[in-house]
Amino acid sequence: MTGPGDHHEDDAVLAAEHVLGLLGGEELDRAERRLETDPDYRALYAAWAEDFVSLTHDMTPVTPPVRVRNAIDRRLFGARREGLLRRLGLWPALSAAALAAGTYLVVTNLDLLRPGPEAPPFGAEIAADDRSLVVRVAFDPDAPEMLRVLRPSGAAAPGRALELWLIAGDAAPVSLGVLPEDREGRVTVPEDLQPLLSQAVLAISDEPAGGSPTGAPTGAVLGAGPVTRL
Amino acid sequence: MSRQTEIEAMIGRVALGDRAAFGALYDATSAKLFGICLRVLNDRAEAEDALQEIFVKLWHNAGRYQVNGLSPMTWLITIARNHAIDRLRARRKAESRGGGDMDAMADLADAGPGPEALAVAASENQRIDRCMSELEPDRAAAVRGAYLTGESYAELAERHGVPLNTMRTWLRRSLMRLKECLTR
Repeated sequence: MTGPGDHHEDDAVLAAEHVLGLLGGEELDRAERRLETDPDYRALYAAWAEDFVSLTHDMTPVTPPVRVRNAIDRRLFGARREGLLRRLGLWPALSAAALAAGTYLVVTNLDLLRPGPEAPPFGAEIAADDRSLVVRVAFDPDAPEMLRVLRPSGAAAPGRALELWLIAGDAAPVSLGVLPEDREGRVTVPEDLQPLLSQAVLAISDEPAGGSPTGAPTGAVLGAGPVTRL
Repeated sequence: MSRQTEIEAMIGRVALGDRAAFGALYDATSAKLFGICLRVLNDRAEAEDALQEIFVKLWHNAGRYQVNGLSPMTWLITIARNHAIDRLRARRKAESRGGGDMDAMADLADAGPGPEALAVAASENQRIDRCMSELEPDRAAAVRGAYLTGESYAELAERHGVPLNTMRTWLRRSLMRLKECLTR
């Protein structure tokens, strides 16, 4: 990004860089403030935004699957706040057990996840009691939007999926999505869940292919583990 | 009522917490915004996640519409594009942070559409396309790369094999020429 010594002769160019996302640091902060206070700059910004948006006009609209709409409704309006397992009272017990038993395993077994010296310092191990399923998750607290997932043991049953859940305190489990079919992969964490991650318990349930149709766990809970510093 | 006016009215009602208007806004715009997410992210599952986040943001931020003077579709597309770009950047950052064991992530990076492919796919009847075509092809590709894949000056410089300051000068000159053309 440009340093503070850089002077823009032309606000039009600055506004274009702003729309393109090429500004950073102080320069971006200043431009953001001008957007609020300087009508001329705002007009330049708006004109560029309109022009650049036409670069998307040839992008074909694609109807999203209905599960996206359902997930949005659930998140915003809490259509199914009380998941089945929660109503059965299983989640709190499971969370407590996982918290009691999990830490030792996490500390000893997460080495495999470390890619190098800059290892993600947070993670969890989610394992079945008999170790028939073992999933390890790690993430960098500076980049909590992405979980690295390693599954050294176990797999989804044929035609089924393994779904990852985040449980924050006493709240109902929130889906983090279906685990990748590959043994190594990644899971994206929605922005509003990222702050909860380091204090959460992660769990895995057995679900229909594509994930739980209801937004709450519907199948057996295969394992759970707390997120800890590695 | 024109489509733009309709969408503007929906955003206004969403800002007041009208769920029915939110549903109507979703019906009217989700396909376009999903198409953009798919194109930028080139990964269906991630595009679905992105679309979900975008509409959650729209619900919470509809009251901020008109703050920056954008037309309603431009506002919506800009939010979608910016969110998709943020994800793409996070992905690139995670990859460069040394996920050498993460083959799946590397594959995703390789699968991204190059700016050249994006440039070829662009239609010719838009004003900006006409003006972009007046730029040298590699400079037009850099501008498109910045908008459609969120590449930084450093990334653009690396991909085009020029020093950072050269890329900055190139791009700023190109933007100035673009502006001249667009305001003709």
